[in-house]
Amino acid sequence: MSVASVPFSFSRLSLIAGNTFLEAVRQKLFNFLLLLAVGLVASAQFFREFNFGSSELKFISDFGFGALIFFGSALTIATTAQLFFSEIENRTALTLLAKPLWRAEFVFGKFLGVFAVIGVFCALTIGLMMALLWHREGQLMDIRPEDFANGRLIAYGDLVVVGVLQWLKFGVLAAIVLLIASFSNTNLFTVVTGFFVLVICHLQYLARDAWGNVDNPLVGLVVRVLGFVFPNFQLFNLADQIGQGAGVSPIVALQVAGYAVAYIGVIGGLAVYSFRNREI
Amino acid sequence: MSPSVSAISIQGLTKDFSVTLRGVKLRAVDALNLEVAEGQVYGLLGPNGSGKSTTIKIILGLLDATVGDVRVFGVPANRVEARRNVGYLPEAPYFYRYLSGRELVKFYARVCGVSGATLKARVDEVIDWVGLSGAADRRVGTYSKGMLQRIGLAQALVHDPKLIVLDEPTAGVDPVGSAEMCELIRKLKHQGKTVLITSHLLAQIEDVCDRVAILDRGKLIVEGSVLELVGQRDRQALIVDPLPEADLEALRGWLAARGHTLNAVEQPRARLDQLFLSKVSRPGRPGGASAGVGSNEVPLDAKP
Repeated sequence: MSVASVPFSFSRLSLIAGNTFLEAVRQKLFNFLLLLAVGLVASAQFFREFNFGSSELKFISDFGFGALIFFGSALTIATTAQLFFSEIENRTALTLLAKPLWRAEFVFGKFLGVFAVIGVFCALTIGLMMALLWHREGQLMDIRPEDFANGRLIAYGDLVVVGVLQWLKFGVLAAIVLLIASFSNTNLFTVVTGFFVLVICHLQYLARDAWGNVDNPLVGLVVRVLGFVFPNFQLFNLADQIGQGAGVSPIVALQVAGYAVAYIGVIGGLAVYSFRNREI
Repeated sequence: MSPSVSAISIQGLTKDFSVTLRGVKLRAVDALNLEVAEGQVYGLLGPNGSGKSTTIKIILGLLDATVGDVRVFGVPANRVEARRNVGYLPEAPYFYRYLSGRELVKFYARVCGVSGATLKARVDEVIDWVGLSGAADRRVGTYSKGMLQRIGLAQALVHDPKLIVLDEPTAGVDPVGSAEMCELIRKLKHQGKTVLITSHLLAQIEDVCDRVAILDRGKLIVEGSVLELVGQRDRQALIVDPLPEADLEALRGWLAARGHTLNAVEQPRARLDQLFLSKVSRPGRPGGASAGVGSNEVPLDAKP
């Protein structure tokens, strides 16, 4: 029997994403982590006496990015797992998937909703950090004008670029957590595994460095596969380049962004494949 | 669509679940055959673990059959296209608590492709039809169980499906709410909808269903029309004014002379739920039992 097909719909995708975003911002966890991150960034100016010899502005920048990376990672893992399992455990997924909706729309809708939440988090944290830096830099320009003979030292555009790259990195992490959640039975397993994967992704450059030194071909192959399977999160750490030489290279930034988008696409596709076979 | 196509056609359906890592299987549904004709109210009955919910989930494409063929209006149930004509009210429904009733129905309507000028009218129409107009702007988190069932029915109907699947629609709902739900089901049948319903409350099923199937341990035990299954064709009941003993004896004699037997003389009893409903009224409910539930029809031509 021939029936009119139901095409993949970006309208339905955005509906799921919008609802996921709404659910997230109404959760205490999001607001709690956001307040913590904002509080930590804002408190950086009170710790400027403890800048351990590095320049004060650099310290505020490092402190802000530290808060962004730490709380952003925690928020990404916890929120992605929570928003996925709330649909499964509360059985709202039953009602939703009993509608003419593709499972791919559901999975990518969830991803985009979480990605938007993390985007808001990153924008607020980076925005606050930039405001603090601008304010303090202005004060220092009055105190030590000789240090700022050529104008402001901080490349604020680079801060935005690094913030966007961190957002993309959290997107890759959200896609990984979604992949784990697509076959996992519990929220706890998903969160714990998500944190393990986060650590592996931050340390996987060691595997890449090691494969040239491994004699055993089998171990070498395993190391090589690990190096490709897990994305290298160290690539996203361009904050150190801010204010040094030419700053953050646009070419490098674009390459890293492309790297993130490719991983999001592949891992998201695997999550859809896994979720298609899941019995709800 | 050919008129001969069943609303639901299940042929040789078997569903196994792996229950251990070593591959031990649990058979939830075993070689089930069912045909639900369009326009029927069909009851799927059975104890817990009999395979009712599994069967419903396979019809809705939420589970894949291990073996067998399941079709909804001729379309394989595992295809997204099959769900275009299906509305589903899950057992003990839980919805997004942070949305109002109207926002919730609107969300599901848009997921189903209802848009433009139709959207608002259709949302208002179904909310009114289930009798929740007065509470439509309250958050779903504040709703009672009966109200959750009714908003659940509204979301199931909002895209005007031809088949409505109701999983335990009266579970945990008070008798007034149950009666309202039954009345809504009758209205749906009156509009020509096909309704598949599971329930443990057999008296209510009996009142609204045209046909029933009883499952046990995944197997079909009995299937047929309610009249065929519970009607006693070799008996008749005559309800008369109270008779004096002498007249009763005379009646026995008259029947005996014609080869018949008076088997029982009983006083007819109203059912307890009927007594309850006659004593408890909810005048505040626009679609309440006493007010005649859902007096306004859901137009069948309101396609998304």
